[in-house]
Amino acid sequence: MQSMESTRSTRSLSFPDKVLHRVFTHLTSNEDRNSVSLVCKTWYNADRLSRSKVSIRNCYSVSPEILVRRFPNVRCVTLKGKPRFSDFNLVPPDWGADVHAWLVAFADKYPLLEELSLKRMVVSDESLEFLAFSFPDFKRLSLLSCDGFTTDGLEAIASYCKNLTEFDIQENGVEDTSGSWLSYFLESFTSLEVLNFANLSSEVDFDALERLVSRCKSLKVLKVNRSVSLEQLQKLLVLAPQLVELGTGSFSQEFSAHQFVDLESCFSSCKNIQSLSGLCDATARYLPAIYPACANLTFLNLSYSAMGSDELDELLMHCPCLQRLWVLDTVGDKGLEAVGSNCPLLEELRVFPSDPFDDDTIQGVTEAGFLAVSFGCPRLHYVLYFCQQMTNAAVATIVQNCPDFTHFRLCIMNPRQPDYLTNEPMDEAFGAVVKTCTKLQRLSVSGLLTDLAFEYIGKHAKNLEVLSIAFAGSSDRGMQCVMEGCPKIRKLEIRDCLFGDAALLSGLDKYESMRSLWMSSCNLTMDGCRLLAKKMPRLNVEVIQEDESDDSEADKVYVYRTVAGPRKDSPPSVFTL
Amino acid sequence: MGKDDDGVGAHSCSSSIDSSNNPPADADHHPFLSSSCCGCGVGVEKRSSSSRDLIMSTDLRLGLSISPSQYNHNDVSSTSMQRLELMNWPPIKAVLRSKVAGKTENVCLFVKVYMEGIPIGRKLDLFAHQGYNALITTLSHMFAATILCPAHVTAGVDHCSKHHNVHVLTYEDKEGDWMMVGDVPWEMFLTTVKRLKITRADRC
Repeated sequence: MQSMESTRSTRSLSFPDKVLHRVFTHLTSNEDRNSVSLVCKTWYNADRLSRSKVSIRNCYSVSPEILVRRFPNVRCVTLKGKPRFSDFNLVPPDWGADVHAWLVAFADKYPLLEELSLKRMVVSDESLEFLAFSFPDFKRLSLLSCDGFTTDGLEAIASYCKNLTEFDIQENGVEDTSGSWLSYFLESFTSLEVLNFANLSSEVDFDALERLVSRCKSLKVLKVNRSVSLEQLQKLLVLAPQLVELGTGSFSQEFSAHQFVDLESCFSSCKNIQSLSGLCDATARYLPAIYPACANLTFLNLSYSAMGSDELDELLMHCPCLQRLWVLDTVGDKGLEAVGSNCPLLEELRVFPSDPFDDDTIQGVTEAGFLAVSFGCPRLHYVLYFCQQMTNAAVATIVQNCPDFTHFRLCIMNPRQPDYLTNEPMDEAFGAVVKTCTKLQRLSVSGLLTDLAFEYIGKHAKNLEVLSIAFAGSSDRGMQCVMEGCPKIRKLEIRDCLFGDAALLSGLDKYESMRSLWMSSCNLTMDGCRLLAKKMPRLNVEVIQEDESDDSEADKVYVYRTVAGPRKDSPPSVFTL
Repeated sequence: MGKDDDGVGAHSCSSSIDSSNNPPADADHHPFLSSSCCGCGVGVEKRSSSSRDLIMSTDLRLGLSISPSQYNHNDVSSTSMQRLELMNWPPIKAVLRSKVAGKTENVCLFVKVYMEGIPIGRKLDLFAHQGYNALITTLSHMFAATILCPAHVTAGVDHCSKHHNVHVLTYEDKEGDWMMVGDVPWEMFLTTVKRLKITRADRC
């Protein structure tokens, strides 16, 4: 060993490191990468020089300078910004998470950047232009739940990213100034494989879209917006029968019988479709046109079509391979029975409320629907379920039928609603979930809950990473149980609970191993937050104070670990303590 | 936009039966020609009240939240869904929320508008207007012209023919025909208008 060491030191740095680099390239998961970098200095260096993909799940946990210094050879970046509750308007619009500083750093250090995925970041048109000009090799852009840009920015990307393969704009707050951005792709541009503009609202230049689809022979994913009619969609499908993922536009139009037959045969020549979405305003009469394309369907997103139980039943009979299904609660319990009967391979179900603010209509789904699915779909492991009522007994049965839940997100829409049959809290329901589902990673609780529910969670949910709580708990002890009991907890989001400073401080030891904590409309005070900030200097404790009702109360608190120190771009309403 | 799914189903049922010129031999097997087609509306009964829309658009953006001390533990009935809406509950993304209920927040319907004798046209967002009166007002300002509102047009065409600088508003519908604006309900008009033209009244 010693002789090897001495001969090694006289040779130049070559063989062992190259081998290490090579080995590390086979480590695809960033978690594994993070682990190996902790082994020793050599491995740390080998990792940092060979890492080409980084995923920064909180853009303020690190600065652009620190990132580019540690990892000089990055080609693919994922950046996530605002706390998740910004989706529900709980975060002021000027909160931050602007991507521009990152782009400037990347332009300098990562000129070969290929891929950028942004979630809940603010992206301006200037930033998009800057991106388009700075990275000649740029290939993949994904913007999810971002805001700050208009279709002008999209024009820049279309015009200048000559090697673009993926252009994915989802659920963003985009200001549509014009639909002509599609025409900015050059006639010589043929490399597009993924195009998703399903959530843009303006009309697009259909001729430009048609020409684009026709010359991009590798197009695999196409999701158009509502402005594209059925007739236009048909033209696109004829040009791209090789599509694997399709998002339709508006799915209702006045068709003659002949046109319907054409549409149907069009879908039947699309033999590779695995994912189908859009279907806006789809009515029973046109849905059958898609049946021929459903044989290999694994993902069906019906959350934009208010479908009834019968339509769903018939549709699902044609989807034997379905693994993931998203629907509106217009399908009712009866529709969910159809899911249970027709989809034995189902792994994921999301049921969204169609009209959550409507007091008048009695509709939606109840525990009966969820039960029916659990009986028919034993492989179910991901559920997001918005319902009007639930019982402890039903949930207990559901998890007995489906013990493999990894994601259990139950939203009983009336806050603090008890078990409607027994009038008891829903503690036992979530107790059953955490006791039975040992693989549980993500949990959202709702209904009337006392501290007992959180005792159960703390005691049994040993793999829990993400927990969302609203309108729950009877004392600080609830949150304390979670902080003391769940070893793997990474993200905790709490709103409208009566947890106070004691609860906040009970997690002192935990916050540095967590990504973030959000607490809004709880019983926190500024003093409590200041104490936390003082004791844990490597955390950013941010308080969002929007109206000056009471300066001593801390209405919205966001706590996260960071190596970048307090941020310098906070708006006036955000205080870092 | 303003129409519920049941309405779409009903409209389409009747007009498609009327407009089909060559019924296929196996009409029985095609869903839209079968008798069940009129049950095709899968609509949820929707309330549309402008006050609700107002709540959604302004108060939601303010992110108002009500402190938990205002709630009694089991007092479920006092919490109306509208108050919850103000609190951004249930947790559905704002973008998806409005789409799901059939309304889209930022939807526009821009149509071309030409004035007779002027080769360069303008564009106008019809969704930004509440009805015919608003439309006529905007157009009158945009083109600095006197445009008769639909009520006056139907009342007396003779009256118009005496004035050279009085105009009427016409539109091209989905079938390519040029029609006088104002005959059909505003919502129906929105579904069928393709473009607008302001023509001199004495030409009608």
